Amino acid sequence: MNTRMQRALKLSLNSAVGMVAALSMIPLVYLFVRASDKPMGEIVQLLVRQKTLDVLTTTILMVVCVVAITLFFGVAIASGLHFVHLPLRRLLIIPTVLPLAIPSYVFTYTWIALVPSFSGFAAAVFILSLTTLPYIILVTLAGLRSVDGSQIEVARSLGLNYRQTFFRVVFPQIRGHASAGALLAGLYAMSDFGAVSLLNVETLTVSIQNMYRASYDRSAAAVISFVLIAFAVLFVIAEESIKTKSPDGQIVKTFSTKHALIRKRPLQVTVMFAVITFGVVAVVIPFYVLLTRFFSNPVGIDWRSLLTATISTITVAAIGAIIALVLSAPLGVLLSGKVTSFGRIAERTIVVGAALPGVVVGLALVSIGSKLGALYQTTLLLAFAYALLFLAKSVASMTSSLARVPNGVKEVAATFGMNQWSVVRKVIAPIAAPGIGLGTILVFLTAMKELPATLMLRPTGFETLATQIWSSTSINRFNEAAPFALILVLVAAIPSFYISRPDKADRAFI
Amino acid sequence: MGLLVGCSSSNEQTQDVTNLTIYSGRSEEFIAPFLVEWETQSGIKLNIRYGDSAELTAQILEEGSNSPADLFLSQDAGSLGAISEAGLFISLPSDVAQSIPAQFVSVNRNWIGVTGRARVFAYAPDRVKTLPQSVADLTKPLYKNQIGIAPTNASFQAFVTALIQNKGEKFAKSWLQGLTANGVKIYQKNSAIVEAIDKGEISIGLVNHYYLWEVSKGLGRSINVKNGFFTPGDIGNLINVSGAGVLASSKKQGAAQDLINYLTSAPAQQKFVTDTHEYSLIDGANAPAELPRLDQIGAPSIDLGKLKSIKRTQDLLIEVGLL
Repeated sequence: MNTRMQRALKLSLNSAVGMVAALSMIPLVYLFVRASDKPMGEIVQLLVRQKTLDVLTTTILMVVCVVAITLFFGVAIASGLHFVHLPLRRLLIIPTVLPLAIPSYVFTYTWIALVPSFSGFAAAVFILSLTTLPYIILVTLAGLRSVDGSQIEVARSLGLNYRQTFFRVVFPQIRGHASAGALLAGLYAMSDFGAVSLLNVETLTVSIQNMYRASYDRSAAAVISFVLIAFAVLFVIAEESIKTKSPDGQIVKTFSTKHALIRKRPLQVTVMFAVITFGVVAVVIPFYVLLTRFFSNPVGIDWRSLLTATISTITVAAIGAIIALVLSAPLGVLLSGKVTSFGRIAERTIVVGAALPGVVVGLALVSIGSKLGALYQTTLLLAFAYALLFLAKSVASMTSSLARVPNGVKEVAATFGMNQWSVVRKVIAPIAAPGIGLGTILVFLTAMKELPATLMLRPTGFETLATQIWSSTSINRFNEAAPFALILVLVAAIPSFYISRPDKADRAFI
Repeated sequence: MGLLVGCSSSNEQTQDVTNLTIYSGRSEEFIAPFLVEWETQSGIKLNIRYGDSAELTAQILEEGSNSPADLFLSQDAGSLGAISEAGLFISLPSDVAQSIPAQFVSVNRNWIGVTGRARVFAYAPDRVKTLPQSVADLTKPLYKNQIGIAPTNASFQAFVTALIQNKGEKFAKSWLQGLTANGVKIYQKNSAIVEAIDKGEISIGLVNHYYLWEVSKGLGRSINVKNGFFTPGDIGNLINVSGAGVLASSKKQGAAQDLINYLTSAPAQQKFVTDTHEYSLIDGANAPAELPRLDQIGAPSIDLGKLKSIKRTQDLLIEVGLL
């Protein structure tokens, strides 16, 4: 390929990335316009008042706690599932992924129903940790599957014990993945409204929502949104400093992903105990409460609306996930080459956007979408909203997977005369595919339970499982919500099972 | 004005209308039966978008003149006031909703009250021996750590706005601070307050009257909670309304007005009383079971139209740390 073509390729790649970054900035531009409606004096007053500082402190503390807890348990559970010989090992992954399908407000309702005094900061940390733990487990598992098994064998034969092997050989290789998972967990905790509001914890997101809800003050909400964005920026920078400590340029996955499974009884028992406890707390208990509420006051199930809502949910979430995949692809390709500061900035912009609450992104798209005529309130625009809301998931998985591809391999391939596209297709894609697939499915799973943007942007009369659950729970009819919640989890179980099949993931590497 | 009145005798205009888009802040469960009935009566298909009143309000404000909505049904007067203030509602002709007394209609006729919601104190009859006579009693040590409120809830804010109007900002502020000092518990929703009383977490809560039925129906059992009214004339007995307004951007204003006429007709009003346990706004109408009639509650005389200016309420709630 001659240099002119290469330059043209690079230019079109850069403009594609620029366009995606611009799209992801729609909410930011919207917020800027709204915030500028307010006089500077009022903005400053709003920013420096004691209340804002208190709420910011609560938010920071909560995010730090959630990230620390999920990182510890997530990496431990993922490693246990990967390295320890367990009965029904594949199936054990499922309960650790399923909580992804339960909307945080349903989660919280069920716990409140069980423990009446369940409320406050610790309760919120507990719920958000349960909700976000699957992100870390999944992303870490994806990282573990590309850890070179032969290195572990070598480390063991050199006399390192399991713990030493883990910290010296395994952990450095999965650090990038774990931190990507932590990023998703932290951003989720920042943007969550359902759980924290029900538990009476005021985070920035709750403040923002309260401003819309109570005063219709869109400008004040925009100003507070910028506080949230500032925190998200700091959080992303902190995460990057951890990620870049990962060793680069190692040759991964040239030998084998096979490794002997550990058969030590205490370890087996510990891992089983951890997985079962998590499954009980995060899946069985919410189900138990939903089902008992259903059977204590049973209603006839409206099969027709159940079926329609299921099909609608799957369709629009799937389209959203595909759009997210397509939108994150140019950035992935760009960052898999020589990493430019432009690519990094685009990546950060997209990731920071994930901290914004759904209602803000929803209103931003209402503001623009309502000017688009026939496109407004269509499934396509809703799917696009999902892609925009959850783009960070797809981008984070994509870049952390691509970071696993050693630069050496790319350079070698290039010296064999492969052009950038062939390098992407033949060298990079096979290594990164599982992670990218995971990102796409994460978008799909999260989109299925999205509520605030769905309510605003869906076609009028279009019901998803989440809107059905909302319309029942908003008037305290848990019994009526139960069938929809059950279907939501069952539908989510299928892709969860698919991505958690180890044999599938392994084959993708060959 | 003459033109608008012309619109309302809307026969020829309504005839070629085949569908109407409604944004409904009222939940499907309670309002859908009414809308279905109107659909069959009028032959006009309704596209109904359900959501939270405040979020739909934010949405309508964002959509501005591009809003696909013809009619907005809201849970509360505050939302209607915000849209009215932005100039997005038409002024309704005087022959629309004639059955509704002027006190439940905004001054400029931008919106019409459809049903009444009484502010009450919900309480556990076995635990509260001395009932409060006035909202002022709630700051007394007798009720320490026993009271629940939902400060983000629109109906609570409407009440505080009325309190400011009625007794002045200074009183309202010291009352709110008194509540905080008295260990008031904060909830996100009215229903959560009623459930908390039933569970024994608190004994008294400031809510709307119909949450008793809602919570009980959801739980599928009777609950240990009753509705109480303060002394007649006390500001705590405020009557708020759910209501409706027609969007200025709508091209089907006549049909939208017909729907308002249906919702405010005597049969529909009676159906609200029996089915959703709300108050009919028509003079002399029956009350929901076990409750005094609307004109016997001793509601304070408050201009509901003025409750839209909740900015000051907001600032006050923020100042005392409840928002």
